[in-house]
Amino acid sequence: MNTDAIIVTGLYNTQEETLAAVEKIQEKGFEVAEVHSPIPSDALAQALGRKKSKIGWFTLIGGIIGFFSGFSLAVFTSTRWDLIVSGKPIISWIPFFVIAFEFTILFAVLGNVLGIVTQVGLLDPDYEKNYDPECSGSMYGIEVASTPEDADSLRDLLDHTGSIKKQRETK
Amino acid sequence: MSQLTFETINTTVLDTLTRPGKAYWGIIALLFCGAIMGASCWAYQIFVGVGVAGMNTPVHWGTYLINFVFWVGIAHSGTLISAILFLFRAGWRNPIARAAETMTVFAVCIAGLFPFIHLGRAWLVFYMLPLPNQRTLWPNFQSPLIFDVIAISTYLTVSSLFWYTGLLPDLAIIRDRSRGVRKKIFQVLSLGWSGKTGQWMNYSRAYLLFAGLATPLVISVHSVVSWDFALSVIPGWHTTIFAPYFVAGAIHSGLAMVLTLSIPLRKIFKYEALITMNVLESIAKTIVFTGIIVGFSYATELFIAWYSHNSIEMETFWWRAFGHYAPEYWIMVVCNTVIPLLYLFKKIRTHVIPLFIISIFVNIGMWFERFVIIAGSVAHDFLPNAWGHYRPTWVEGGIMVGAFCLFFFLFLLFVKHLPSVSMTEMKEMVHHQVE
Repeated sequence: MNTDAIIVTGLYNTQEETLAAVEKIQEKGFEVAEVHSPIPSDALAQALGRKKSKIGWFTLIGGIIGFFSGFSLAVFTSTRWDLIVSGKPIISWIPFFVIAFEFTILFAVLGNVLGIVTQVGLLDPDYEKNYDPECSGSMYGIEVASTPEDADSLRDLLDHTGSIKKQRETK
Repeated sequence: MSQLTFETINTTVLDTLTRPGKAYWGIIALLFCGAIMGASCWAYQIFVGVGVAGMNTPVHWGTYLINFVFWVGIAHSGTLISAILFLFRAGWRNPIARAAETMTVFAVCIAGLFPFIHLGRAWLVFYMLPLPNQRTLWPNFQSPLIFDVIAISTYLTVSSLFWYTGLLPDLAIIRDRSRGVRKKIFQVLSLGWSGKTGQWMNYSRAYLLFAGLATPLVISVHSVVSWDFALSVIPGWHTTIFAPYFVAGAIHSGLAMVLTLSIPLRKIFKYEALITMNVLESIAKTIVFTGIIVGFSYATELFIAWYSHNSIEMETFWWRAFGHYAPEYWIMVVCNTVIPLLYLFKKIRTHVIPLFIISIFVNIGMWFERFVIIAGSVAHDFLPNAWGHYRPTWVEGGIMVGAFCLFFFLFLLFVKHLPSVSMTEMKEMVHHQVE
């Protein structure tokens, strides 16, 4: 994005209007910086060309670490006290698998949460910069980047695409 | 459902968060007193010793463990509704998923209290944790009791995180419509959620993975709880059916508790447009299904006892049905398998009063199921000279009543401070219906 760019946000009532607006804005050569919506939308993600989520990798890695941690913990602690209990071998695969399974789920979920925090872009102190509070309730907001010279034509374009109101403009 | 719009969903749910009336505070105060009474009974037990409970030779596991298994069971349905039905794309789950998830979190917390209480010397609970110490004494990971510690703590962590993740977009809605201190609180809680496309994309993926991970977890946790019993040699416990039997029973009791909570919630907060009769009917139909599975499990236990020609097993089950605990056994059978069949009648499952009453009966039946399993088998095992009976004392009764009060107290606090219906999921449902 151009550092001199300004951001103009248009608000829309429905997902269909928003999709149509995104296409029109992109056709006219403007850059759609972001879309805020009250519900998830695959169609919007596709229209904006968003890449596939990487959260699955966090979860998978968490799960693998968990499995080996659980199993290793059970094996390590058993070998610290080499005493046969109830006739079971010191390293008992089946009971230890239960521990490994629970650790797999636990660590996979913790990996998933780490993925959410890092990939979803939470904890952003500037989240309000181009965000209209209406977008959490029922409206869709399209943030469009423009040079200061093209700002007027962008405002007209947003009006033509059915934007209900234009949000604050930020550099 | 078709009359619902995004704005009406917001308004209906956010209206529940307005300043409560005197009746609400009255009930909260009453439940708080109940919880304090339970805590006092526990304090008395700690002061005097665990002997004040009715547990004795041969029944060393009494209401504390009965309540532990009961509350873990109640917790399971929350995950069933929020995770398993999410994966199956069952639309009727959406209006009740949040209440069910909340029920899960509180029920697991309460379930987790009972092993502490049962321990007697609760301050030595860290012996159960895998902590290094100078004598290299570690927990025995071959023991199902340690499986329990790991499984329940994993379940509590996962269900709390799942619940909180699901809340994020709704917390942002409250943040955007609040002012002052309340706004600041929700600003922190919503972690800067702004509904960007990228956020939603990653969030949806993460939520799906959460559901995918919670599903095997929920099956494993109650299986693990059942192995506390099944891995012993006590007649009536030592059986391979226990894991599926416990999981089905857990879902049965949890669904009943969802009905018990949803029906008053729907009436008090005027949620009729969101929690429709169709939703309640779907829960009732699922209860019929789980009731049949539970009934089949009871019959299988009896059949295996007879078919095995094992005289001790046969005696145990004969005694369960016609012995000292026969009233408890028949309450269990009737409440869990016969009464839910009334939901087969459309007139019954489409009226809130019979729906509510039957759900209470199922809850009672499931509590007695845990009683019969836990107290019944050890009270009448191999040798007649080791037979004995168990009856809870007032201390155990007080702690049990306190636990119920604590659960409803926490739930009532929740419904007035956080959205009890997921606005985002309701909007998604409405959006897809319009499409």
